[in-house]
This record gives sequence, C-alpha cells and structure tokens, in this order.
Amino acid sequence: MEPRLYIDVHILQTVPPANLNRDDHGNPKEAYFGGVRRSRVSSQAWKRATRKRFAEHLPEQDLATRTKKIAAKLTERLQQRCGLDEDQASRIAAALLAPLGISAGKKAGDTAYLFFYGRRQLEDVVDLIADRATELAALPDTDLEAQIKDLPVQEKFSTGHPLDVALFGRMVADIPSLNVDAATQVAHALSTHATELEFDYYTAVDDENTREETGAGMIGNIGFNSATLYRYATVGLHQLMDNLSDAAAAVDAADLFVESFARSIPTGYENSFAHRTLPSFVAVVLRADQPVNLVSAFETPITTTTAGIATASAQRLAREHTAAIRMWGDTPLYTAQCHSFDADRDDTATAAVLKEAFGEPLTFTDLRNGLRAQLTTALQQERA
Amino acid sequence: MTSTPPHPTHTRPAERHDPLPDGADHGGEEAVLLLRLAGPLQSWGDRSVFNRRETRPEPTKSGVLGLLAAAEGRAREDRLDDLTQLRLGIRVDQPGTLLRDYHTVSDYRGRPLLQAGVSAKGRQKPTSPAKNTHITIRYYLQDAVFVAALAGPAPLLRTLDTAVRHPAYPLALGRRSCPPTQPVSLGLRDTSDLRQALEAEPWQAARHVRNEQGRRNSYPTHVDLSATIEDPDGDDVRHDVPQSFHPRSRSYTSRRVRHLWIPTPTGFTTPTNNDQPRQPSAGHDPFALLGW
Repeated sequence: MEPRLYIDVHILQTVPPANLNRDDHGNPKEAYFGGVRRSRVSSQAWKRATRKRFAEHLPEQDLATRTKKIAAKLTERLQQRCGLDEDQASRIAAALLAPLGISAGKKAGDTAYLFFYGRRQLEDVVDLIADRATELAALPDTDLEAQIKDLPVQEKFSTGHPLDVALFGRMVADIPSLNVDAATQVAHALSTHATELEFDYYTAVDDENTREETGAGMIGNIGFNSATLYRYATVGLHQLMDNLSDAAAAVDAADLFVESFARSIPTGYENSFAHRTLPSFVAVVLRADQPVNLVSAFETPITTTTAGIATASAQRLAREHTAAIRMWGDTPLYTAQCHSFDADRDDTATAAVLKEAFGEPLTFTDLRNGLRAQLTTALQQERA
Repeated sequence: MTSTPPHPTHTRPAERHDPLPDGADHGGEEAVLLLRLAGPLQSWGDRSVFNRRETRPEPTKSGVLGLLAAAEGRAREDRLDDLTQLRLGIRVDQPGTLLRDYHTVSDYRGRPLLQAGVSAKGRQKPTSPAKNTHITIRYYLQDAVFVAALAGPAPLLRTLDTAVRHPAYPLALGRRSCPPTQPVSLGLRDTSDLRQALEAEPWQAARHVRNEQGRRNSYPTHVDLSATIEDPDGDDVRHDVPQSFHPRSRSYTSRRVRHLWIPTPTGFTTPTNNDQPRQPSAGHDPFALLGW
C-alpha cells in the first residue's frame, strides 16, 4: 500500500460580534449540531480567505511555477514506463521538452527556469510516445526531433498545477484530464457552543440636512453573532506529492497552507465589525492512518463557564484528541501545538491539559519549522 | 444518464429477514460491513446538477460507494463493478434536519469567472460578458447519524474495512466539505443478512437525542428506527447505483429497495423506580421518529 500521510489542523478561534459569512438574508450562516443552533462559516468562505492570503504572501512566479527537475523526472518516468535505459530515456525526454523552448540549466537535468507540472501531466506526455519508445530511441537525433515535433507536448503542459490548484483542486467540466483532485479537505467552521442570531439596528443621519428635520436618513439591521469557532482541515501529503511531483514543493505547499489557513479570516462586514482575530489555539497532527476530525468534542455544546468558552473548548478538544487516540486511531507520528492560554491566569488547568495531549506549546513559527522538518524526513524515508 | 430497467445487478440470494435455508449461502463466504456515517453536515445528492445541489434524506448508494472508492484510492476512471454488487442497507439513527446553504462563487483574485468549456488550445476562456459572481444553492443534512450496512463477499469487505481505516483520499459524507467524525468503520459482522446486522448494532444517535428519547419513553430497551434495505422484491426504486464515476461517462442505474422499521437496542437498562420519567410512557409517539 502506498504510504499515506495526513496533516490534520485543529484551530480554535474566538470571533467578537461579526458577520463573516452571510446567507441570502444577510445574516451569519448557521447550522444545528448536537441539537442546538451554532454559528457556521462555510468551508468555501475560509478556503477563499486562505487562498487570498496565500496569493498575497507568495511571489507570483512561485504560484505559477515550482521545479527545475522536469527533465530528470520525465527521464525517470520514461525509464519506468517504457523500459528504456537512462541514456535513451534522457535523450527522448530532451527531445520532448525541446519544443517547449526551455533552455537547459547550469546543472545537468535542470531547466533554466522553474516549470510547473504534475504527475498526471508527465504521464500524459509519456502516453504520447509510450507505444513506440524503443523505436524512437533507436533513431538518430534529427529523425527523433522530426518524429516528436508535431506531438502536442506543449498542450499537455500548458495548464500546469500552480500551488493553489494542487492544494485546492480544479474542475474543468469539458476536459477531465485538466481536473486536479484537491489535496486539502476543509470542514465548515462551527461554534463550540450554542449561538443566537442578534440584530444591530442602525440609523444613519443625513449630515447635509439643513432643515433640521428630525429622523434618520436611513435605517436598517445587520445580523451578527459572536463565537468561538472550531476549525478543521486536513492535507494529504501523498496527494500533494502526486499533484506536484516534487518533495520540496509538497513540503512548501503544506507549510503554506497551514500558515495561510491559521492566519486568514473571511472579510465579510469587516469594516462594520473589525472582527479580525488570531486563533487562540493551533495544533498540527501528522497521521499515517487516517484524518481525524475532532468536532465530536463539541457535540454537547459548551456552556458559559467562569474561565470562559475558549478555555473550556480547548480542554474539551484536548480530551477528545486523547480519547480518540486511545479508542480508534494509531498514535500520531507527530503532534505540535501553539496556544495563547496563560498558565498564570485563572485557567491553570487548560495549559496543562493541552500540554498533556499535544506536547509542549511552541510559537507558531516553531510549529511550522517543526512540521516542515517532520514532513521532509517522512518524504525522505518514503523514498529510501 | 442512461436509463435501464429497474433490476438489481447482484446475483446473491434475495435479502430477507428470514434466515436463508441452511447451506444456501455457504458457497462464497459472505459478511456485512457496518459504517457509521456521522458528522455535523452531510449531503447525499442523487440527481443534482448545476446550480441546485440537493440532498436525499439518507445516504445514497453512489455516495456510500464513492466513499469506499475514495478510501481505496481508486481514480474516477477506475471500475466499480465489484462495489456495485454489494447490497446496501441504511438505518436512520438520527434523521437530522435540512440546511439550505446560499453559496456564491467568484475568483479570489477579482478576475471574471471562466467558462466551463475550453478553447481548442485547452484553455478556459473568461465569461463574456464578464461575470464575477455565480450563485448556487446547496442543501445539507445537519446533525444526522446513519448506519450503512454493506453485504457481499467477505474478502472484499475486509479490504474495504482496512481501506476506510487507512483511506487514500480523505473521506467525505457526500461532499468534500463534510468530513465524517470517527469511527467510520464499525467492522465486519459474520452474517450475510443486512437486517440481522443492523438489528444487532446499538443505536448510534448523539447523547442528546438518546437522552431525550429516554426521558420521553421511560428508557426503552429498544427503539424502532427507519431503514431502507436493498431487496429485489422491494416495492420502491432508487436510481442511485453508479456504473462509473468517470467524469466523461458518469451514469447510474436503479435498484429495488424496501422500507422497514428496525428494532434497535438503545443501551438503556430498564428504568429504576427512583429515576421516574417526567412524562408517562407513550405507546404511540410519531414525533420521536423525527428525533424531536
């Protein structure tokens, strides 16, 4: 069985009165869970926020292109698929790539600039010549070039998988070969507690009203609620590898997803509510068996406690994680957390419970660095 | 969509409550795999296309087989005939309610949306006139719990059980944004009878639903849960058997099902005298079926 590696991301984030993601009545989205009404932010809304942050914090060429190893990868595929030796395969690979006009890089097998591609596209290109590879390998250079000149190689590559397509997928109804299965799965964010929809009644005064008329120039309502949200997403590293064909690119993409998912927030009614917060808790859990969504921790809604809903939610989440490992899953390969709960304040228990479940708290930067190191090691072991 | 006469594709003996005559099903070793389908949101479309994405009130066969195929890491182009021969039973442990979701689509870079079709060069062209936001309506089931039972050859079910515990693609309850809560697999049962397997499985409803039902009906040892079971003699037809998930040639065929009530153990022991229910025991309580 192909090795699998899932990166589960668990986040708790408290949002003040806000309306991040509204329905067609203009009110915040909701869902019933555990028998009570919850605040909900759709997965699509948070993915959009994640992608926007992603795009803003990445240089344009990194979104579009990634790796220099295409010639080497194509050679490898030709060897495996067509039973050619390395020299033959590398000669055909060079001939196939020549029409793309990618000049050679300084190191052998490198192209001069980054070129983005996925495993499927490589396979598609190999498909073009697979049934006559041996025959082609026997041809002299000029004949080989002539044979390959008219093949639609460029078309196979013309729609590379930018990092965000590799993460979030793509669907083109008319050309299934351009479809990319998303490597991420993002759940709808739900509040850990029951929420009520509230309304802000507002009036706007007409400043230019000179006749001193009483009354407002405009009145209206904005629906809002405030919530501690449980946010969950999982990234299939193996699928990222499949979409990107490159270990370093896969690690980068996974790391960037964690960063962007954690730090982004939908911008609905941003100027009315200034709701932008940061998570109070982020955990990453690396699993070789299956993704584990911990939303069951909140099926019984949190009720108000003296320590606050966020701390109670964190404790519940930690206990659910521990219980899930004990009952259903294998032990995760790696777990790391960062949180803003202070052991010196009144919620001494929270930091301790979290530490027991997810290990020593780190800074977010250290959490990301640790995750990168783990992912790199895992991919190296897989190759060895 | 192809239209085929409603006839079940499997060749197994008819799925009946009555145990099969001895020896009738001992040839190929048969078993039942039980799955618990629970999560805050689920969505099981059967004929949804384009802008309106509906959900059935219970999981469809294409949805459940899709989950299994994803667990095994099958590509959309791969064959499904070994999976479609499995017989499906669904027990409604907690029916949930319908959620209507207003959903807009736009390009996060602020560019106009692309057309669904592609040019000769294989590129998607922008919409003309430029369209920036597209609206779709999606329906979900919220707060629902189901038990799905799949009957068929034991070796195949064992493979699927392992796959669900080590899925190649993340599992989803009918739609990608609906991850299930654990555990999904409840394991294999040593029977080929869907009803028997479902009857023996304890009630999977959430604690708040079980408590409410307990209070209402003085902690019964069993509840009757609605179920749909594949049966060639069934009186209803479902057009939800996938023949292929290939994006180019997605097609479905029909199966026959029958509806029934399955007495299910609640896990409540008989009430004690000092735990008096608030309401007297009600013999007939239609609202209990709705989870109220």
